[in-house]
Amino acid sequence: MPKILDPFNKHNYHEQNNNSKEVLRVVNVEKYYGNKGNLTKAIDNVSFSVNEGEFVGIMGASGSGKTTLLNCISTIDNVTSGHIYIRGKDITEMDSKLLSRFRREELGFIFQDYNLLDTLTCFENIILPLSISGVNHKEAEKKVEYVAKQLEIADILSKYPYQLSGGQRQRTAAARAIINNPSIVLADEPTGSLDSKASRMLLESLENLNKNLNTTILMVTHDAFTASYCSRIIFIKDGKLFNELIKGENTRKEFFNRIIDVITLLGGDAGNVL
Amino acid sequence: MFFKLSFKNVKKSFRDYTLYFLTLTFGVCVFYVFNSIESQKAMMKISTSTLQMMKTLTQLMGYVSVFVSFILGFLIVYANNFLVRRRKKEFGIYMIHGMEKGKVAKLLVSETFLIGTLSLFAGLFAGVFISRGLSVVTAKLFEVDMTAYRFVFSPGAFVKTIIYFSIIFITVMVMSTVSISKYKLIDLINAEKQNEKPKIKSPVITILLFILSIGCIGTAYYLVLKNGIIILDRRLFIEILLGSIGTFLFFASLSGFFLKFIQSNKKLYFKGLNMFILRQINSRINTTHISISLICLMLFCTIGILSTGMGFNNAMNESYKYCTPYDVSFWSYDTSFTSDENLSILGKLNEYGFNLYNYTDEVVETAVYKYADETFTKRIILEKAYDFLPKSMQLFQMDTPLFLLKLSDYNKLMRLQGSKEISLTENQVAVYSDYAESTPDLKKALIKFTEMKDPISISGKNYEVYPEVLTNGIITSPASGIMLALVVPDHMVKENTVYMKMLSFNCKGDKANERKEMLLKIESDLLEFGEKFEDVNEELKLSGITAESVKNIATGLKAVIAFIGIYLGIIFLISSAAVLALQQLSEAADNRHRYNILQKLGADSKLINSALFRQIAIYFMLPLALACIHSIVGIKVANDAIADTGDINAVGNIIMTAILIIIVYGAYFLATYFSSKNIILNKKTAN
Repeated sequence: MPKILDPFNKHNYHEQNNNSKEVLRVVNVEKYYGNKGNLTKAIDNVSFSVNEGEFVGIMGASGSGKTTLLNCISTIDNVTSGHIYIRGKDITEMDSKLLSRFRREELGFIFQDYNLLDTLTCFENIILPLSISGVNHKEAEKKVEYVAKQLEIADILSKYPYQLSGGQRQRTAAARAIINNPSIVLADEPTGSLDSKASRMLLESLENLNKNLNTTILMVTHDAFTASYCSRIIFIKDGKLFNELIKGENTRKEFFNRIIDVITLLGGDAGNVL
Repeated sequence: MFFKLSFKNVKKSFRDYTLYFLTLTFGVCVFYVFNSIESQKAMMKISTSTLQMMKTLTQLMGYVSVFVSFILGFLIVYANNFLVRRRKKEFGIYMIHGMEKGKVAKLLVSETFLIGTLSLFAGLFAGVFISRGLSVVTAKLFEVDMTAYRFVFSPGAFVKTIIYFSIIFITVMVMSTVSISKYKLIDLINAEKQNEKPKIKSPVITILLFILSIGCIGTAYYLVLKNGIIILDRRLFIEILLGSIGTFLFFASLSGFFLKFIQSNKKLYFKGLNMFILRQINSRINTTHISISLICLMLFCTIGILSTGMGFNNAMNESYKYCTPYDVSFWSYDTSFTSDENLSILGKLNEYGFNLYNYTDEVVETAVYKYADETFTKRIILEKAYDFLPKSMQLFQMDTPLFLLKLSDYNKLMRLQGSKEISLTENQVAVYSDYAESTPDLKKALIKFTEMKDPISISGKNYEVYPEVLTNGIITSPASGIMLALVVPDHMVKENTVYMKMLSFNCKGDKANERKEMLLKIESDLLEFGEKFEDVNEELKLSGITAESVKNIATGLKAVIAFIGIYLGIIFLISSAAVLALQQLSEAADNRHRYNILQKLGADSKLINSALFRQIAIYFMLPLALACIHSIVGIKVANDAIADTGDINAVGNIIMTAILIIIVYGAYFLATYFSSKNIILNKKTAN
């Protein structure tokens, strides 16, 4: 499949094929809740890393700590101990002003409930991060159009979120997430509110972004079907790393079956699988 | 158990309730203070006539308070609806867990009761103290001396406040019970899900509406400036209607128009959070434009009432000097009295045992005459003089009789007050107006009229106009009703055409304090006399007043107007500001979600704070800005109207009004900003 060159990508295109380039490194992260008497270890000494161009999934049962981990990486929550490096910068040591800037420049978010601004049109929702960053509006508009084409939402740009289907909203959110060319896109249960058809379309879009634009994606999910679109999956149980699966040369179907096996091993109930 | 739950609820949501609670407290406080003015007389040395004015004030305050309680009632019902709407989900959860609607309503009622009781007593407590401070203002406005500070408590005002506010709170309780019973469980549970669809209007219609609104407002301004507001007729009604419709259309189309306008400048629109702020305001005003228009009109009333109501003061202050040339005057307009040549005021008073020579050595009894010819009206002079007056000031009816004064009477009157006498030749008449001194424009016009040297024709004979306009007062009275007259040689007047008879004198006594004592004596004697012959008043057909009373009535009247103006102004002001604040705060939950998204997108706190500040500031400023523009026109017109009874110094009052608005409105704005910031940017609740 011929790759489409993203003319606005700030990173050197050829370097991105070099899979060894590290985008995210999580080192011995711990997150505790509560006080001395009643301590909950939501994340217990977790370390892993994500390379550029990877599509990584984090799986685990509810309460396993996967969302907490994502919140720590997304700088929305802070860690109790350990370090998180994104493009070599330690986000656990940044102050709030730097973090805002960092979020703006290096991170993209996709949430389960879309988190689109209901007062803004799709176009305005997508362009908003660029406005905040102070990008020239002409350049910004071109970017929005380009990204919208990639996500097949070019024809709905003038509509308001309430006029759209769930899948269209989530693809709008995805467009907003990648508009800034973030180092990494963090997706928290992106298919959680979608039906299976819309989920498939969104995941194909994400896969497309990952392959064509070399977007690095870290996705939290508990759904095996959703996870099967990833290139690598990290399993978490009770706040600890439990297992890791790499898609490699597997077809998606084969990968899906391997995921089911691990979930069974994890003790997750079968309901999650279907 | 319910009371405990509601108490906890109130305590928990105190932050949401703070503004509501403070507004209620402030409303109660103002209500008590203004109803307790009469009781402040305990701290002052006041005369009988001032006491009368205070009684009038209290009576008027009673009527105004009914109106005010309606406004406050609406405000409280509105505010309560907002709070209920915010808590729909909470009520839904109670009901899902098996609480019956009746019990939820009971919970709400006990919360209202709690808040109501708290604010009622906090307000009364504050009111009792503030009314003490207000007594200084009262004394100053009535121009009386304070005797001593002491604790005054008005049981009447206290009970009245409790009764009025109890009625309001009971209404609120009934209304919230009704509204709870109407909700379905599903609506309560889903209340927090945003399903408010932005109303999208076509840009063409928006622009047309906007142009139409500007047209309406502009026409209203033009008409009111042209016609003035002195004559209350259909024209004024149409002007007010046009202005109001224009205001409603303005706010209905403004945000849409403004949005389109800014959107056309993409560089500006896509800069920072501009787009977000504009959309926020747009969505807000689209749903609340009716209340914003009402607020704008209320603010306009506030500015108008405060700045002109207080301005009335000076106008009256100036004119009262010309209303009191003598210590005491008596007069009668009654035809059975005036048509009988044998009746004199002096004689009549003697008949009833009131001997004026007990008080004075010299009385002057004169009369004002009407010309028998019906075509002899004010038109003769005013037709020409009005050319020199702005149209808005032409308030005299032209077709009322032009009065005549005998030259000898006029000179007698001038001699008594120590003013210059005049002499007229056989074919000369002089223009007299007791209205001119308080209306400089009229005086100028009359002077110009005499300078024209146009002869006046009376019974086919032309008379030359005396080169000077006579403006000295000729009677001590709050309103003489003469306005315009001609001083003519004695022989031109027939004795049987008297319009009014009058008698004036100055009290005897060489030293100032002797005279003052005599004045006080006659004032109380007159009051006694009046009370004694109350039942024969019809027969007496006489009125009499002292200079002191005229002054007290004038100052009293202006105090009454100022008090009612300030009272209404403050109530309007806090109502408007409170509604705006509640509208912003009630939206804080939605806004929290939106600002949270912005934070996640990487907008730093400085950018977010400034966006929030600008959003709330624009929301508060919009109605005030239009109200100010309305007021500029309104004050100009009101000034012209009041200037007829005296020149007013509007600048001082406008500054006072501006300060009051900045303090009250500004306080609400800041309170809204800080509590919104608290709700929206609270780190703990951030996801």
